[in-house]
Amino acid sequence: MSNFFPRWANWLPLQLLVCVLVVGAPITLGVWYYFTPKYTRVGYQPDQPVPFSHALHVKQLGMDCRYCHSFVEVAGHSNLPATQTCINCHGEGKILSNSPRLAPVRESWKTGQPIPWVQIHRLPDYAYFNHAVHVNRGVSCYSCHGAVNEMSVVYEAESLSMKWCLDCHRSPENFLRPPSEIFNMDWHPSSATEQRELGTKFKEEWKVNPPVNCGGCHR
Amino acid sequence: MKKIFQHPARDAKPTLWRTQGELENSAEFNESLAREFTDAASGREPGEGLSRRDFVRLMGAATALTGVGLTGCRRPEAHLVPFAKGAEWTVPGKFLFYASAMPTPAGAVPLIVTTSDGRPTKIEGNPLHPLSNGSTDAFAQASVLDLYDPNRSKEIKHDSLTVSRGDLDNLLAKIRATAGSNAGDGLAIIVGRENSPTVERLRAALVQQFPKILWVQDEAISSRGAEEAFDVLFGAGARPACDVAKADVILSIGSDFLNPAESGFGFANGFAKRRDPKGSMNRLYVAENHFSLTGGMADHRLRVRASEYGDFAAAVASAVAAKTGDAGLKALASAFKGTGVTFDPAWIKGVADDLLSAKGKSLVLVGAQQPAAVRALIIGINASLGNLGTTISVRQTGAKPAAKLSDLCAAIKAGSVKTLLILGGNPAHTAPAGLDFANLLARVPETLHLSLFTDETSKVTHWQVPAAHYLESWGDARSLDGTVCSVQPMILPLWNGISAIEILASLAGEKIDGPSAVRATFATYSKDASDAAWQTFLKNGFAAATAWPLSAPAFNQGAALAAVQSAKGSASGEFEVVFLRSSSVDDGRYANNSWLQETPDFVTKLVWDNAALVSPADAKALGIKDGDWLRITAGDRYIDAAALIAPGHADRSLSIALGYGRNGVSHVMEKVGFDAYPLRDSSALGYRGGVAVKALPKDAYVFARTQEHENMEGRNIAREGTLGQFREEPNFASEMDGELPKPVSIYPNPPLTGDLQWGLSVDLNSCIGCNACLVACRAENNVPVVGKDQVRRGRDMAWIRIDRWFASADHREESLEMIPMAVMCQQCESAPCEAVCPANATVHSEEGLNLMAYNRCIGTRYCANNCPWKVRRFNWFDYNERPLDQLYYGPLAPKGMADSLKMAKNPNVTVRMRGVMEKCTFCIQRIEEARIGRAVKAGASDVTKTPLPAFKSACQQACPSESIVFGNINDPQSAVSKAKANARTYSSLAYLNTRPRVTYMARVRNPNPAMPGADLVGAANRRNEHA
Repeated sequence: MSNFFPRWANWLPLQLLVCVLVVGAPITLGVWYYFTPKYTRVGYQPDQPVPFSHALHVKQLGMDCRYCHSFVEVAGHSNLPATQTCINCHGEGKILSNSPRLAPVRESWKTGQPIPWVQIHRLPDYAYFNHAVHVNRGVSCYSCHGAVNEMSVVYEAESLSMKWCLDCHRSPENFLRPPSEIFNMDWHPSSATEQRELGTKFKEEWKVNPPVNCGGCHR
Repeated sequence: MKKIFQHPARDAKPTLWRTQGELENSAEFNESLAREFTDAASGREPGEGLSRRDFVRLMGAATALTGVGLTGCRRPEAHLVPFAKGAEWTVPGKFLFYASAMPTPAGAVPLIVTTSDGRPTKIEGNPLHPLSNGSTDAFAQASVLDLYDPNRSKEIKHDSLTVSRGDLDNLLAKIRATAGSNAGDGLAIIVGRENSPTVERLRAALVQQFPKILWVQDEAISSRGAEEAFDVLFGAGARPACDVAKADVILSIGSDFLNPAESGFGFANGFAKRRDPKGSMNRLYVAENHFSLTGGMADHRLRVRASEYGDFAAAVASAVAAKTGDAGLKALASAFKGTGVTFDPAWIKGVADDLLSAKGKSLVLVGAQQPAAVRALIIGINASLGNLGTTISVRQTGAKPAAKLSDLCAAIKAGSVKTLLILGGNPAHTAPAGLDFANLLARVPETLHLSLFTDETSKVTHWQVPAAHYLESWGDARSLDGTVCSVQPMILPLWNGISAIEILASLAGEKIDGPSAVRATFATYSKDASDAAWQTFLKNGFAAATAWPLSAPAFNQGAALAAVQSAKGSASGEFEVVFLRSSSVDDGRYANNSWLQETPDFVTKLVWDNAALVSPADAKALGIKDGDWLRITAGDRYIDAAALIAPGHADRSLSIALGYGRNGVSHVMEKVGFDAYPLRDSSALGYRGGVAVKALPKDAYVFARTQEHENMEGRNIAREGTLGQFREEPNFASEMDGELPKPVSIYPNPPLTGDLQWGLSVDLNSCIGCNACLVACRAENNVPVVGKDQVRRGRDMAWIRIDRWFASADHREESLEMIPMAVMCQQCESAPCEAVCPANATVHSEEGLNLMAYNRCIGTRYCANNCPWKVRRFNWFDYNERPLDQLYYGPLAPKGMADSLKMAKNPNVTVRMRGVMEKCTFCIQRIEEARIGRAVKAGASDVTKTPLPAFKSACQQACPSESIVFGNINDPQSAVSKAKANARTYSSLAYLNTRPRVTYMARVRNPNPAMPGADLVGAANRRNEHA
């Protein structure tokens, strides 16, 4: 009786192994990296109906975040400004009142139809984030939204993944700021050590104990 | 090491039971015990060849082979749309609260309506209102769904053609012009009973302008008979006001006074205050034909047929008169001609003696549907007992009599009605069958029906006008005590709805502009009609000091005697049929509300159906079982209805709820129950004697009852005792646990380090089982409705289940008691469910909450399997995304929720999808809001030193008798800590050592030792112990 398996079959296990390594490993690593919010979310920068520049309004003109996002300290949502807020400065006879780039704003003001801003920072429906509690307890806009004051077109700066949330919920001392600097996008601690010292002090004084159980965010 | 639980042995014949099968220890019941779940709840469809699991296995393989396409690789673009112009008070994502009221025939229910981003989403009671303790009933809770119901009538139609609002305005102008020329001759208007001062004012204006107008007030289940009797006995417009909180002894003869839909708001709370065994506890005697909420609370209960309530009242009256020598009462009692039936003399004497021992502090009540003769007798007894002026006062309501539906029918027959505007109710369906109203309508040249739904009446009128819901229109309504409540719109009419006030105002020639008509009425009853007073009226939800003043009633012996003599005797022994107000759909007005359709009946625990209730003895005599068909013949009409055996029901008596069996209105109502309206007659609206009943040889009808699910094997879960027992041994309930095993648990003990620890207590002594908590929970937590078929398979989703236990120490109908018990997730500290979850989807928080992370759940259902209380609910289908008749469609079938229903959802609670387990969360969204509120307030300071904002769980907030208390058990001053420290507190299934955070306070009954069978009252658990 001849050999059931031909001779080349001796190499089959090794060939298979190499194949798995060559094909499988890149797939695994690819999914690992590319299918995470770190890759899919960070840098998302859609076109907006109005080319509003935060860099211009915040960095150059020095406007406070809360002029437009007026309810961030009291509500779970940080509201987008009503058209009325834009019109306060860009209304008839005021700044750039005839600029074609502001046409959607004037249109909205005339018709009463809202401006459809494109959402950038989006959490899943089952995650409930509350802005008010964060900004009142020492977490700056900067920590989640990045240097918005330098963005002429806003993009997503952080992954907003659950692990990313938990990093801070587990060690808030790495991010807590003096209450006066919450909305100051240019405030940065001089070193990581200074941040930790400051953060630990606040954490203990204010009894900051962010939830790390499911119920904190999922209801 | 496997822990072996020493489960208490199950009685072969238990003294506490929930289902007939459990009592009889039937083979089906034993089989159901052996399984963890009912057939379908374990995934096994009854009687299928290829099992569901096999099918899924095959389908799984097929799906894998056909390839999982990478669909939707592109990021979906979402938009954020802020207002163009900011709206007053609005903060996106924050709730706004408005005071309003829900008009009902029994009086307005004062409300605080929660609106989120302009949508009313949740309803609570208005705690400022004098009658309300901030609670609501099931109907008010569910009314928010009616607002968003996609089946609502949406267009104005004339002879089935859609017309514009302008056409309707032209019609109204034409009617006004015609009425102006002939003084309103031929114009008739039907209104429901909404107790609205504005409607009354407009009525007066119309009558003044058009004196010949026919003004008809009609309600399907009306208290008209009682009101006519009061007009005679107390004077025109005078209505008695009973104060149950002042009564030491109460006798209710067929009066379900604890049910707010029946008798108005405010009774349950007053009654519950007197049920604390540490205070001066009242005693309640109930004589009734079927188990009602009130009957369930009774200390002594007697089964009496509805047609014999008069005889019972006469017997009590004679006994009272014999003791006191009151000649007037004696004359009343002897003048009464009833069926001549006699009652247990010991029972009558016991009641009469007890009532007399509490002279001036007792109360005798009778059902609203009883004839004037019986009512006069009852007033006579109360007068003789000295209750008039103490527990019973009168309020002068100034109500003016309106014509009845029968008057209108006579006018139509005479051909004198040319235009008929039906602005309330659904008379073509609910009118007494003898009137033949639907056919008479066709004789009227011009008819208009204003209604929320295109119902039976709309189909036979020329004009159909969509009505505005009370949450989208201006109005006002008086509550039971006469206080005027404001009704404010929370949202613009979703579907061009128009309110009755708008139509009446344009008929009266008033220009309507928002609240103008209501404001004009406000000026008539408010001393201060300024803008500030108006704003206060809207802000508080009611106008202070507008209640009708109370006065002591004068008893008119002559009128009472005349009324009693009007009674015609009737033969005893024949069957009677009693028409009940449904605990789910009222008189049929809520038949389109799926939340209510799936709310179990108070006693039978029936959903999506009504049934002909028969006593066990009658069922035996008729040879029928649950679901067998009966033909009920009254006069020349009959209905066929399926029977349900109702323990505690009077013999030779049937009860059937109204408002079911409607066809052709909407798919929600199709094939739901049996229409009992055809049996009603103008002379017999509440009950009808001389009925013939026979069993039909048809296949049994299949009912869906929630009580059949998840048996607990008679382990003394509901506990009760007597006042004597409580005084001897206050902690009798926890003593029933006997020797508990050492506090070790096989389940994990998570660290409970939070400074807040949540707990809940349910007082079984004040819980009346009214379903308010259940519907409130459904509204608050976006709990889906699953439909009759799914409920029958044991898949109902309600997070709170109200168990209805029957208890009887000697298994006789005479000693039967009822104990309702709300069972929700017990939030065990050592939770059995958490140990078995393979996905860590259910875990414990440091604040003692058993959390459920929906997005982690993979649907193994191990947790539900391991839950001793069976309170976990599994989403077998996409109940939110699919119509209930399309649940079994494949994955490619269309999905989606009606836009309007999306608006009804609570934005703070995840809407769960298929394949996910869910359960009571202790309203974690409210807990988190409170914790966040505290942290925001604390800001840059110590959060633990900041007080937590006050909040309640949804069930607690809705409870009319304040029997549910929720809060922080770490704070010894909190209400829940105090409740838990009560001696009556016990844990259900304490021997399992899971340490539930939900505890119960045992029920205490207050039997009268002189009564027959007094030793059996509240004794079921004791018997159980000794067995």
